[in-house]
Order: sequence, then structure tokens, then C-alpha cells
Amino acid sequence: MIDVARRFLRSRSAMLGLSILSVVIVVAAAAPVVFPGSPFRRVDQPLLPPFGAYLFGTDVLGRDVAAGIAHGARTSLMIGVLATAVAVAVGTVVGGVAGFYGGRPDDVLMRMTEFFQTIPTFLFAILLVAILTPSTKSIVIAIAVVSWPAVARLVRGEFLAMRGREFVVACVCLGMSDRRVIFRHILPNCLSPIVVTGSLIVATAILVESALSFLGLGDPNTMSWGFMIGAGRTFLRTAWWLCTVPGVAILLTVVAINLLGEGLNDTLNPRLRNR
Amino acid sequence: MMLARSVTCCLVAALAGLALMPETVSAQKRGGTLVMLVQPEPPTLASYISTSGPIGQVATKVYEGLLEYDFSLKPLPGLAESWTVSPDGKTITFRLQKGVKFSDGKPFTSGDVKFSVLEVLKKLHPRGAITFRDVTDIDTPDEHTAVFRLAKPAPYLMMALSGYESPMLPKHLLEGSDVKTNKLGNSPVGTGPYTFVEWQRGQYMRFDRNPSYWKKPAPYLMMALSGYESPMLPKHLLEGSDVKTNKLGNSPVGTGPYTFVEWQRGQYMRFDRNPSYWKKGRPYLDRIVARFVADSATRTAAIEKGEAHVGGFGAIPYSDVKALAKLPHIETTTRGYEMQSPIVQLDFNTQRPPFDNQKVRQAISYAINRKFVIDNIWFSFGKPATGPISSNFAVAGLYTPDVQSYNVPNGIQIANTLLDEAGLRRGANGTRVEIVHDITPYGEEWQRYGEYVQQVLAELGIKATLRHEDVPTWLRRIYTDYDFQLTNNWIQTLADPVIGVHRLYHSKSIRPGVVFVNGSRWSSPRTDELMDLATVEPNPGKRAGFYKELQQLLVQAAPLVWVHELHFVTVHNKQFKDLIVSPLGLYAPFDRVYLDK
Repeated sequence: MIDVARRFLRSRSAMLGLSILSVVIVVAAAAPVVFPGSPFRRVDQPLLPPFGAYLFGTDVLGRDVAAGIAHGARTSLMIGVLATAVAVAVGTVVGGVAGFYGGRPDDVLMRMTEFFQTIPTFLFAILLVAILTPSTKSIVIAIAVVSWPAVARLVRGEFLAMRGREFVVACVCLGMSDRRVIFRHILPNCLSPIVVTGSLIVATAILVESALSFLGLGDPNTMSWGFMIGAGRTFLRTAWWLCTVPGVAILLTVVAINLLGEGLNDTLNPRLRNR
Repeated sequence: MMLARSVTCCLVAALAGLALMPETVSAQKRGGTLVMLVQPEPPTLASYISTSGPIGQVATKVYEGLLEYDFSLKPLPGLAESWTVSPDGKTITFRLQKGVKFSDGKPFTSGDVKFSVLEVLKKLHPRGAITFRDVTDIDTPDEHTAVFRLAKPAPYLMMALSGYESPMLPKHLLEGSDVKTNKLGNSPVGTGPYTFVEWQRGQYMRFDRNPSYWKKPAPYLMMALSGYESPMLPKHLLEGSDVKTNKLGNSPVGTGPYTFVEWQRGQYMRFDRNPSYWKKGRPYLDRIVARFVADSATRTAAIEKGEAHVGGFGAIPYSDVKALAKLPHIETTTRGYEMQSPIVQLDFNTQRPPFDNQKVRQAISYAINRKFVIDNIWFSFGKPATGPISSNFAVAGLYTPDVQSYNVPNGIQIANTLLDEAGLRRGANGTRVEIVHDITPYGEEWQRYGEYVQQVLAELGIKATLRHEDVPTWLRRIYTDYDFQLTNNWIQTLADPVIGVHRLYHSKSIRPGVVFVNGSRWSSPRTDELMDLATVEPNPGKRAGFYKELQQLLVQAAPLVWVHELHFVTVHNKQFKDLIVSPLGLYAPFDRVYLDK
């Protein structure tokens, strides 16, 4: 474990990702303190340029862009983490059952997974949000629904491989319950690919949430980066900062999470250890 | 005061005439292709079945109406070269233009008029049932005469109501005096077409024309006979088939200056010059192409580069209009929407708390800063609204600014007082009540507008949650289920209040399932009565009086918040002249448009 931590700390890209992400997390956590009240609140004249009275200026309704960025960070991270948690939980259960038991359950579960995989991810997410009416909950559900199949297939593969390994066979011979075999022996050994995939799903979830909000399908009561870009798009020629600032925020966050995921992959995957 | 105003009007008209002179005098050139930007693509070209905005922009180049209108909303000859209204106002005789042919070569006759109005428009047009409600029949004594019969009169009574048999006298001049000796006997004051000037005994009496004579034919029907509102259709192609599914819907055949050529779905529609158009020498253009470009930035670029030549009704985003207006080859105008007159509103559900309380509704109306909304959400393209009738109707005398004004500087303060009086006290956390505010799903400015209203309501201690749904869901919520509290909305008040305004306030317009009618469900016997009176009143003065009282009562009751009169902008290339020549704007036939390079 210590060895893994040390390797992780030595990975330059992972550390870069971690530090950017930490900044985002701190900003998100500090948002209610630094920018109290609703980020939709009008604070001053509309369209004040950045680096004046307000760090990132004001938008078309006189809202503080910096406050929007801070509160938007909360939304992005929250939706990213929640949606990923749901997707990973569902994907792991489905993939685990399919991989462990094989046969009919495997067939049924994998056909179902494939069914979900054949629908274009983003269109499916739009459809779900439109049907469920836009809200934070429906966005989390939509992202989870389109993200779990990838996890399920990955976990199934891992479980299938583990299922035939000597230590698992030995456990079964010893008469261990299925649950104990799965949770004590197989799952811990599959954890690293799940963590890596999960971290990448967080990045995808943030992008999907931004894209949905950009299209006006976000929760209209929650400030989010995608919403800010969507609302500022019309002013690209006149007020560049409205799209640029949240755009850079999304870019940095997603890059940071990807770097982190890659770093985790490098350190957790023994085969890549000496790459 | 009145005099001053009419003098100003004349001056303005004269100046406008002067301004137009050079263009009118310079010879119109033949040829050229106009590219219009139409957004979004119309679902069909059956302008007699659907009133969806974009249809009018294209279908009106093919279909025409009996009448056209000038900027002061006065009817002008169209397919009807002239018309007379019977003294009882219940019969209107139209003389039709001769030699008019549909674009398939068949002549246009009174049979087409009768068929269009009675068989199609009255039955199928979304507003036709109201517009032609009183048209019971249309006689066609010959091919070029159509006689509209309006709701049945009592014939014996009608014979006794002439100015000879029963003159209407001015009560204010006769009341309280001896009628037999009153000087009215020698200097009559009546309502007729001429006013008495002098009587040189033994020589002559002089009567001058009454400039404010009331007899403008049929108060509202005449406003609904344009090619956009009531297109004239080919009977020979529609008769005996199901109008709704007839292929005419996708390949129109009309009498207009252009003939339909093709429709490449998702890309463009093409209309070529109608060589046998009945107006000799017109149209000047060879071709009109309506292009459908989904992305607003691409539309702006197309106009800027000269690939497209005209776009209106929001096809060019407001944010780009100002930049485009600075270009030397581009002209922008807000004229040509006088028969649309859209008003941006907030609709209350007046049957549900907290907006069942008039004081609460008034409070919201006070709190909205109209100037802020216009300047920051609609890029200054608007004008504060004072009530249910657009100030565009001022030329027709139907608009009054003399109503309770909500557009005051200390609106928030008044609103808070009113809410206290209404019994909505602030709770421990400063919140009086929580509501849901629906956003009309017609584009991003509505979302921004919703966010603005949410913040205003927050200042009043009303916590509003925004709800954003797709079009059918929103329409069902507002007009079928009435499952809302407050929604933003916009309504076109059209060419006459009977057509565009009554539907929002009349108790008979509370019709579940019918969209863009009285979804607020507010009504009162008196306002119903006023609207019914104004519908049939031929005297413009009296009609204006009814509307004045109606506006005052409605504004006080505040079933809606009238925020501002929305100004659409048409952006067009200066090479094309005479594009916007009537209040129908882009809904006009474009027979006068010409290209001058």
C-alpha cells in the first residue's frame, strides 16, 4: 500500500491532476462562504469586464461570473461523483453477477447491457432528461443510466478471469459462500480497474452535465458551467469572458481527472508498473 | 390636443411619403433572386390550417387575400378591387379583380371566395371560427361578386332604422331644453358622413365631408382578409377531398406573384415568378428561395456575407442585430409587424393560491422592472407595455395609456406593501410563500427572463423554483391541465383585438385543450360584456370607449403582467428595395420587391 502511494506521488501527471482537482474541490467547498447567497443574484451592472470590481466580471443579467464558477464547481463535482457512484454500483453488481455465475444469468444480463450500449450515449441522456423533466436528480439518473454498461462489461471480464484462478477455486472448494468469495476475494482484486474506470466516468459525467445544461436541459435552479456557456454563447463576440471562463474551468477539471485516472492506472496496474 | 395630434400624424405621413418618393419614382428593375432566412422551417404550407409563424412568411407569396392593408391598418384593395358595406353592416359586397388566375391557370372567381371562407377558413383555420363566426353565408351573384351575409337581422326592424325614419340625435345638445325650439333644428349635428357648415338662406347649404366618419367597413372582419390570415384557395383542387391531407398542403397553388417549385426538406423552398400574375408587370423578382438554417450564428454569417438577403421574426438573434446594422450593405427595421403586435407577459393561474388574490398579482406586476428586461434580455428591442392592447393599436384609436401604471420606480416597495396587505407575511427565513415558475420553451431569452423573475420574486420574499419543459408538455400544463402558478409567455395580439386579444380574457375562451387562449382563467361579467359589445360595434368612437374601459378593468385586475411589447427585427440586404411595404411585413406577397444592384 505504501509502495503504491509512493509510486503515485512520484507520477508527475498524477500529481498535476491531483493538485488542479484539489483547487477545484477547495473552490467548490468555499463557494457558500466566499460567495454567499444565490449565484443567480444580480450584483451589479450587466456585462462588466473581468478583473475589475469582479474577478471574472458580470454576465448579461448582472450576475457575478466568479460566483457562478464557484457554485458551478459544486454542481459539476456533485453530479460527477453521484452519477459515477450510481453507475459503478449498478455496473459492478450486473457485471459481477454475470461474470461469476456465467451461463443464463450472464446471457440475460449481457444482452441487456448490450441493448443499452447500442443507444448513442448522449442522445439517450437528452431523451431521459427531457422525459424526467430537467432537475439535478434526473441528470444524475440519466448519466448513471448511460454510464453503467461500460462498468458492467469491465467487471464481468475481470470476474470471468478471476473465477478460474486457483485461489478462487480453492475458496469454492473450501465451501465458502458465494457472497464471501465475491466480496472478500474477487472484488478486492478487481478494484483497481474499477477505480480507474470510475475516475474517467467522473470526467465524462461532468462533460455530459455541461452539455445538457448548455442545451438548456440542466436544472434551471442550479448554477452550472454548461449553463453559463450556453447563456453566454450569444455574446461570444461582445463579452468573451462569459464562455471562456467556465469553458476553461471545465477543461481544467476534466483534464485533471483524466490525469489522475491515468496516474491511478499506472500505479495500480502491476503490468504497467515499469512502463 | 386632438388637432395637434392629427397635424403631427399628417406631418409624419407626409415625411414618410417624401422619404419613400425617390424609391417609388426610380424605375423598378426586373429580375433577381431574393433569399429569405426562415426560422424554423414550416411544418407545412397549408396556411389555411396552421398559423405557425414561418408558414405565413412563405405561403403568402403564393396565396392572396381579398384585402391588403396600409401601415395605419386601413384596408386596401387586394383580390377585391372594391367593397361596399350595407347600411345595416350585415352585408358586405366585394367586387373582385378581373382576370385573376391561380398559378395553375384556372380563373379566380367568387366561387373560390365562398369555398375558401365557408368550407375551409371557417371550419379549419385556427382563428377562422372566430373571424368568420358571424358570416352565415356568401352569395355569388356573378363570378366577380361575393356578398358576405353576417348574422341574421330582423328585416322589419331594419326597415325602420334608416336616418330618414329614425335619425339618431345628440342627447347632450337636446337634453334639458325645448326640443322644438333648439337651434339644432337649423344647424344639425348628427353622426353622418357629412357635417353641416353653413346655410345661406335663399342661396345654399354647405356640408363638408365628415373626416372622422365612423363607417369603416366591418370593425374586425376587414382586418382578417390578408393572404396571410385568410388565403384564397383553388376550389377545383380541394373540392371533394380531405382538405387536411390534400397534397396542396405541401405544394401550394395560389393566385400570388410567385409559384411554388420545390421543397427540399431541411434545406430550402423555391418559388419562381408567376408569369401570368394578374398585376401586370409584377413581380419584379425571378425567384424567391427560403432557406432553413438551424444554427443562429450561421444565419447571421449568411446575411453578413450576402448569401441570404432577409431574415426576420427572430431568425437573426437580437445579440447580432446591432453588429449587422453597422454594416454598409445591411438595413434593419422593426416595421412590418404591426399586424402581429406581440406582448411579453407573465401569466398567473388566477384560480390557485397565491395568485387568486388580486393584490398579489398586482404586487408582481409592480415589481418587474420593464426597462431592465427590455435592455438586458431583449437587447433594447421592446417598449414597456401598459396593458392588454398593444400601443400599435393607437392608430386605430383602440389603445389607451390611461390605465393604472405598474411601471414605477419604487415598484419593489409597493409590491412588498401589497403582499403584506394580502396577508402573505414573511416567515422566519424571510420567505412569504414558495411557488413554481414555468418557462415557456421558446428559446434562451425566456430562460434568462425566468431567472430574472426568480430574482425579483426572491426580493419580495417569494421563493420561486424554475421549471423547464418541452413545448407539448408546457402547452398541456398551461392550457389543458391548468397545473401551474406562474409562467412566462408571449402572445401576438394580431390585427384587431377581437382576433388577438379577446381570446386571453373572455370567459368563453376558457377552453381546456385549446392553446394560447385564456389559460389564466380570469374573467368578469363586465369585461365579457365589453368585449362582446366591441366585437359588433361599428362606430370607432364607441368601440374605442369599450376598449378603454376594458383596458382599465383588466389592468386593475392584473390577470397577467404585461411586461413589454416585443419588437421583432427584420434584417435585410439593401440591394433589395420595397421589401417591407405593409404591416404584414414578411407575410406580404413581395410582388413589389425588386433588386437594385
